[in-house]
Amino acid sequence: MTTGEILVHVAEYKVGGPGNVLLTIGLGSCVAVMLHDAGAKVGGLAHILLPSPALSRRDQNPGKFPQTAIPLLLQEMAGRGADAARITARIAGGASMFANLQPLGTIQMGERNLVAVRTALTHHSIPLVGSEVGGDFGRTVRLFADDGRIEVSAVRRGVTYL
Amino acid sequence: MEDVRDLKELQFDALKEVANIGAGHAATALSQMTNKKIMITVPEVTVTPLEEVSEVLGNPEEVVAAVLMHMMGDLTGRTLLLFPEPSAYDLCDILLRRAPGTTTEFGVMEQSGIKEVGNILSSAYLNALSDFMGMMLVPSVPSLVVDLSAAVLTSTYLNFGSERDYVFCVESEFQFDGESSNLRGHFLLLPDLASLRAIFDAIRVG
Repeated sequence: MTTGEILVHVAEYKVGGPGNVLLTIGLGSCVAVMLHDAGAKVGGLAHILLPSPALSRRDQNPGKFPQTAIPLLLQEMAGRGADAARITARIAGGASMFANLQPLGTIQMGERNLVAVRTALTHHSIPLVGSEVGGDFGRTVRLFADDGRIEVSAVRRGVTYL
Repeated sequence: MEDVRDLKELQFDALKEVANIGAGHAATALSQMTNKKIMITVPEVTVTPLEEVSEVLGNPEEVVAAVLMHMMGDLTGRTLLLFPEPSAYDLCDILLRRAPGTTTEFGVMEQSGIKEVGNILSSAYLNALSDFMGMMLVPSVPSLVVDLSAAVLTSTYLNFGSERDYVFCVESEFQFDGESSNLRGHFLLLPDLASLRAIFDAIRVG
């Protein structure tokens, strides 16, 4: 890890300011929600694990679900000087790995996560300006708080920017 | 038993013994297939929050070749076989009778070879369990992905397990003995919670 890099583990959410890079490793069915305010150079990343607290009995970890992680992310970003009106969102992940083992007619968790994340973003009126989602492969993402650039890398697929 | 956290010491030990029998047979199969000596570790039974499974086998950034199969019949769940990328290449060299260091990508032949290894190992593991517990266990077709260990592990539990809080795995590590290549892999047995009960009933550990 280079200086200024902030690692976001599964079901965590973190905020970074100028000079910071928010990093999350190995998104499979999970979805990374990345918020950025270009004016304040403040970024936030949540590593969403599940689409709804209803799927979990032990629901005290708000970082797990989009409904609970996104408002907390917004709150922390506001604390760092971000203006809600300027914040835009991009998302990555939500893959369907081992899809051929999934019983027919079921909806993959990756897809359910994506739907729940988009719903939560709409609920908070945050415009979704980019996504790198789906497929059958994992992703590692970096959000550069300075310019809001997002680097998405996948094994043997190289790097794309959002 | 409502939750995997309710497991007792004796039940952990029993699961380790069951896994040892399965892993022993799987290692024998792999040894015969490759004509190499194989060492297996004492199985580890781990209970972790779902958030932490990506790190249960060590480095979440390690690229692995992973073969997932459903376990069907009297028990339900999954088996997951993981080889770190360099080990998967070495294994392809051995299986495809190539000079060491020849395989550098996962083409059709290599993918097929790794899936077949998954098939043979899981079948050997499940056969041993079937005999030991007097059950019928059948593996599904294998599914292979080559990806980061974190993505593989989290997706396996998210898409196929019904537990969303604490999850459970029985893991055996195997290693080729006396090889300079340091070829190694992990075999994970992931029974559903209901099947854990069935295992304890079968071996009379309450």
